[in-house]
Amino acid sequence: MNVLQIKYQRYLFLLLFIGVILVFAANLAWGSVPLQLEQLWNGLTGAESDPVTRTILLQIRMPRTLAAMIGGAALAAAGLVLQVFFRNPVVDAFVLGISSGSGLMVGLVMLAGVTFGFHGNLPMVTFLAAFTGALLVMVFVLFFSCRVQNVVTLLVAGLVFGYLCNAINSLLIAFAQKEQLQNYIHWSLGSFAGVTWPQVLVLAVVGVPALMGTFILGKSLNALHLGEDYARSMGVEIVRLRQLIIIMTSCLTAAVTAFAGPVAFVGLAVPHLGRLVFRTDDNRVLIPAVILMGAIVTAGCDLAARSVMAPVELPLTALTSVIGAPVVIYLVLKGK
Amino acid sequence: MELRTSELSVGYGKKTVISGVNIQALRGQIIGILGPNGSGKTTLLRTLAGLLAPLSGTVYLNQENLSAMSLQKLATRLAVVLTGKQPIPRYLTVMELVAAGRYPYTDFRGKIGGRDLEKIYEALRWVQVEHLADRYVAELSDGEQQKVMLARALAQDTELIILDEPSSFLDLKNRTEFLRTLMELSRKRGMTVIWSLHEVDVALKCCETVILVKDGAIQAAGPPEGILNEEAVCQLYGGERLKMNMAIGNTELDNPNAAVIWVVGGGGTGTPVYRLLTKHGYGFATGILHQNDVDYHVASTMGVKVTAVPPFSQIDGQAVAAAKNSLAEAKIIIDSGFPLGVINRANLELITEGVRLGKPLISLREAANLACPVHPEERCSVSDLILRVRKYIC
Repeated sequence: MNVLQIKYQRYLFLLLFIGVILVFAANLAWGSVPLQLEQLWNGLTGAESDPVTRTILLQIRMPRTLAAMIGGAALAAAGLVLQVFFRNPVVDAFVLGISSGSGLMVGLVMLAGVTFGFHGNLPMVTFLAAFTGALLVMVFVLFFSCRVQNVVTLLVAGLVFGYLCNAINSLLIAFAQKEQLQNYIHWSLGSFAGVTWPQVLVLAVVGVPALMGTFILGKSLNALHLGEDYARSMGVEIVRLRQLIIIMTSCLTAAVTAFAGPVAFVGLAVPHLGRLVFRTDDNRVLIPAVILMGAIVTAGCDLAARSVMAPVELPLTALTSVIGAPVVIYLVLKGK
Repeated sequence: MELRTSELSVGYGKKTVISGVNIQALRGQIIGILGPNGSGKTTLLRTLAGLLAPLSGTVYLNQENLSAMSLQKLATRLAVVLTGKQPIPRYLTVMELVAAGRYPYTDFRGKIGGRDLEKIYEALRWVQVEHLADRYVAELSDGEQQKVMLARALAQDTELIILDEPSSFLDLKNRTEFLRTLMELSRKRGMTVIWSLHEVDVALKCCETVILVKDGAIQAAGPPEGILNEEAVCQLYGGERLKMNMAIGNTELDNPNAAVIWVVGGGGTGTPVYRLLTKHGYGFATGILHQNDVDYHVASTMGVKVTAVPPFSQIDGQAVAAAKNSLAEAKIIIDSGFPLGVINRANLELITEGVRLGKPLISLREAANLACPVHPEERCSVSDLILRVRKYIC
C-alpha cells in the first residue's frame, strides 16, 4: 500500500467518525418533537429541566439510536467476515440460517402460543425466543462445520436449514389467528422501535465484545483471500478459525435479530460499499470501516423510517433494501 | 531442507490414491513429478505439503515428522503454489498478496515490519514483478498472476517450495522465465523445489530427479537421464498415437498410413515435409538418411519406414537397393531439398531412378542447382506442397 492510499484512507476514517456523530445527533434531535442542539446538550449532560424532553431524549430516542448503531455495525461486520470466509460476495449472516432459526422460534411464540416456560411481557419472551433460536442454529452449524471439509457444503446446509425453518413458519402462519399474525408480521419487518435500556444493555454486552473480536480476525481473514488451502499453508488453523467466525457472527446476528427482527441487506451491501469507498480488500482496514458505515447506514435508515411518512413508521427492512439492493445490483453488473 | 517419505500412502477418506511412496528430496534439488491426468500427482503434493493427512506412513522434513509439526512452524519450512485459477478479490494489490506470505512471521495484527518489507521486495525482485507492486492482482494477466503467486510463496521465506502444475497456463515466454526463476532459486538459494508438470521435455531439461506416478504407485524415480526413455514415457501416458523422442526431446504424432509417397530427406530438410504429410494423413517412406540426422529421429519417431545407414558413413549399394525396392511402391517422390555432400550423393541416383520409373517428382529445392537439375514445373514451396500432392493422390 502506498503513502497516498494510506492518507486517503485516514481522511475517510475521519469523515466516517464525523458521520457517526452527525447521524447520532440527528437521530436524537429529529422526530415528532424536534429538539434544539442546546436541548440535546442539556439533556445529555443532565441539565435539562423539562421531564418530557428528558424522557423523549433519554428513554425513547437514545436507546433506539444506540441499538440501531450497534445493530447496524454488528450486521455489517458479520456480513464482511462471512463474505471473506465463504469467498462469496453475496453472502451475509442470513445464509447460515441464523435469522430463520430466530424466525422459527418467534413464530412458535407469537403464532402457536408456545411460551417455553417463560412468563412475562411478550417482547421479552420474543427476544428470548429469537435469541434461543439463533443460538440453536449456531450450535447446529458449529456441529456441522466440524464434520465437513468444504465451506460451500456449509453454505448449502445453512440455506437448506433456512428454507426448512421458513416452511415450518409458513405452516404456523396458515393456522394462526389474525391478531397473532399481525404481531408476527410486525416483528418480521424489522424495527428498532420501542427498544428499552435493558435491551440495549444486552445488545451491547453481546455485540460490542464480538465486534472487538472481529478486529483480531483481520490478519487471518487476509490469509483466507486465496482460499483455505493457501491459508493453511501459511499457518492458519482453519477449523479453529471457522469455529471462531461462526460463534462471532452468530452472536452478532442473533443479538440484532432478537431485538429488531430480520434487517435485510445491511450485512450484504455495507461490506461492498466499504470496499468500493476504501478501494481495498485489506480486512484490517475494512473491519473498522464497515463497523462505522453499518452504524451510519442503519441509524440513518431508522431515522428515515420513522420520519419520512410520520406519524406512520415504515418498516426498516424496506428502507435498507431500497438502499442495499441497488448497491448489490450495481456491483454484480460491474463485476461482469 | 530435506524431505523424505517412508511407506507413505496418500488419498481421501477410505480411497487410497497412491501407496508405497518412498522418495527423497535433498537441499537444492528440483524434483519433478510426472504422470497422466488423474494419477494422483496433486494428492501426493498436497500430502507432502501437509495440506492432507497421510493415510499411512510418514513425511519427514529434516528428520522431523511433518504431521507432528505445528502449522505455524510448517509454514516457515515449506510454501506452496497450487494449481488452478483462484478467484481473486477485486481490490487486492500485488503488494498485499505477497505480504500475506509473511503471515507466520507477523504479530496478531499482521503488522508488516522492516524485515518483512525486505523479504517482500526480495521476493518481488526474484520473479521480476517489482513494477507491478501497486497494481490490483485481479487485473493482471495469467502469467503475471502466476509469478505473483510464486512471489507470495517466496516471501514465506522457506527452504522448500511445492508447486502443482505451475507452468500449465503460461505462454512460452512466461513459462521459460518461470522455469529459469525456479532453477536459479535452487542453484543460488539452495531451495528445494518439488513440482508436478506435464511437459516431459521440461522435466528432462530442468529436473534433477523425476518421479513417475501411475496406477496408484510410483513407477520409477531417479535422474531423468536414466529413467525417462521413449518406452517409459509411452507406458506412463499410455499414448497410442503420441510418440516421444528423447534425443531431441520431442513428441511426434505417429503415422500408421500406407506409404504412398517417397521422401528423399536429409540435414533436417525432411522434418517439415514429414510433419506436413502426417498432419494431412498421407503415409510415406523416407531415406536414405544417416542415423545421426534429425530427419532420421523425427521420421523414426513417427514410426514410418526409414531406410538408413550408420552415422557419417558412405551410403552403400545395399542401402540403395533397399531404398529402390521401397521406392517402387510409392506413387510420387518428394525431394526435400536436402544439402548434397560427399556421403549422400546416392540420394540423387534415387531421385533419377524414381523419375525413370515414371513417378511424378515434387522438389522443394530453391534454385536451379547444377548438382541436381530440377525442372521448373517440378519445383514447389512447402506451403503449396499439400496442394501439389493432392493433384496426384486424392
